[in-house]
Amino acid sequence: MRLSASAIALCIAMLAGHANAAELPQRWVSAGGALSEWVSALGAESKLVGVDTTSQHPASLKALPSIGYQRQLSAEGILSLRPQILVGTEEMGPPPVLSQIRSAGVQVELFSAHADLPTLQRTLEHLGQLLGNEAQAAQLFQGYQQLLEQQQASVSLAQAKHASPGVLLLLGHAGGKPLIAGKDTAADWVLRQAGGRNLATHSGYKPFSVESLAGLSPDVLVFADRSLSGDAARAALFKENPILASTAAAKAGRVVELDPTLLVGGLGPRLPHSLKVLSATFYPDAASPATTAP
Amino acid sequence: MKPLVKPRSLFIGLSCLCLLAIWLSLALGPVSLPLLDTLRAALRMLGLPIDGQGLEQAELILGQIRLPRTLLGLAVGGVLALSGVAMQGLFRNPLADPGLVGVSSGAALGAALAIVGGSLFGGLPEAVGPYLLSLCAFLGGLGVTALVYRLGRCNGQTNVATMLLAGIALTALASSAVGLFTYLADDATLRTLTFWNLGSLNGASYSRLWPLVLVSTGVALWLPRRARALNALLLGESEASHLGIDVERLKRELVFCTALGVGAAVAAAGMIGFVGLVVPHLIRLLAGPDHRTLLPASILAGASLLLLADLVARLALAPAELPIGIVTAFIGAPFFLYLLLRGRA
Repeated sequence: MRLSASAIALCIAMLAGHANAAELPQRWVSAGGALSEWVSALGAESKLVGVDTTSQHPASLKALPSIGYQRQLSAEGILSLRPQILVGTEEMGPPPVLSQIRSAGVQVELFSAHADLPTLQRTLEHLGQLLGNEAQAAQLFQGYQQLLEQQQASVSLAQAKHASPGVLLLLGHAGGKPLIAGKDTAADWVLRQAGGRNLATHSGYKPFSVESLAGLSPDVLVFADRSLSGDAARAALFKENPILASTAAAKAGRVVELDPTLLVGGLGPRLPHSLKVLSATFYPDAASPATTAP
Repeated sequence: MKPLVKPRSLFIGLSCLCLLAIWLSLALGPVSLPLLDTLRAALRMLGLPIDGQGLEQAELILGQIRLPRTLLGLAVGGVLALSGVAMQGLFRNPLADPGLVGVSSGAALGAALAIVGGSLFGGLPEAVGPYLLSLCAFLGGLGVTALVYRLGRCNGQTNVATMLLAGIALTALASSAVGLFTYLADDATLRTLTFWNLGSLNGASYSRLWPLVLVSTGVALWLPRRARALNALLLGESEASHLGIDVERLKRELVFCTALGVGAAVAAAGMIGFVGLVVPHLIRLLAGPDHRTLLPASILAGASLLLLADLVARLALAPAELPIGIVTAFIGAPFFLYLLLRGRA
């Protein structure tokens, strides 16, 4: 009885506090990779006091206390950082922990991780309000939209001249047993935006037999490796899956890397650049399509 | 073999350990509260007239986060250890653990079904949605155990060896089904499934707590009453029935209590390994195989151990936290090896 009475008292105190405190939250905890990036891009990196394990960019965020994986948050752990606001995608949880954090008077804001522009616009508007930085947020969104429009224009230009290449995206760990990105994934969206045709028709990320991999004969291979990067990842991929070397993509040297952190948590600020790099590999003859846009 | 400790001193020691674990579990956490505040908030929650000024945070952390978590740890640890004793008594084998009758794998199957398939029945009413996972895990554990028990019965007799083998077969079957769900799962649900399999006391709330507390209290009150019967069963099934024990009924009770208790514990906190296996061993080492001591002492020891393991889980990586199954297995496995090697020497 006493417990609920004190909880009510606390709620009233909080409401009263909320009414006269028009000031914005100053101590932020972010549980989403793309969200942390946007907060930083809006110039508020210094307000972050903790991030989750998917927040890897900018690299300076790694120095902040880690609150663990976004779906397995700990109420007391987060409260020990004394945050005023917790932001994350709808994947953030578990729900009882979120309600415990809310009941401690911390503002909890959920954002959609859906990969499309209207969602990003809402996300940025909301972040801008929370940071008191609406103008910069709107500006960021416009710039982003322009970049994606340019990207689309150059892709359709290239597609008029060339057939879209068949692409497979391999998500792996040090090259071993890669998962192939199918429909309904962020990876599929990225491939399409870059002008590729995803050869995989299953849904989600699934392991493939090497035989069916070679049978699809992709024109381009995109690999996203969680533990290695650059040439080391490329070498590991071909070492672990020798059959890939016989694909048209490997023979023509059209094997390109994608940062796997781009594939989680919605559209992030680094995406347009990666799309440019991808389409440059997809359409090598199209007089560098990324720069033909007005 | 003469026991190392007399039952009386064992109970006194374990009670002290348990109280200490409860206090530590309430007093320590990633949020550092002044000891005095914790004490005052605790007394206030007990109903003592203490001025609540400046205690809001302490009361919130204590009342809404640490207390439900501590109660969950007590109930889960106690009931897992108790079920371990029941299974080791039933199979007359110190290697038996509650998973042997299929309750853990059944619960895992139910959970996988709920996690992966949950989005399919998206239109669930508000009252059921959040509890779907727990409910499915509980029913899965109960269902598979009932099947194992049914398979072990022949002509009104329960053959323990058949039951054991049926348990192994159904566990394999259930894991293959879980594997299939793992294959069907997308990345995010896969992570949820993995974490669920490692167990956690995180996010305990009163609404999820009471079914478990009810079940585990029932089991904890019932099983110790059967201590003499379990002692008789140690001699062998026919010997026990010559001593006037209704062996069939005893077996049924042991299986039922284990399924109920472990099912509820797993539903509330996910899979937590090694407590059910190691705690009864530990008590047997200290106080001998008499079930009159073993049953109640295992409850206390299991509860204390799980609370201490949870303390490690929440403090080791703060502000993030470790799944508790990692901690219990990390402590439990080397201890088990030690027992094996010691027995060989």
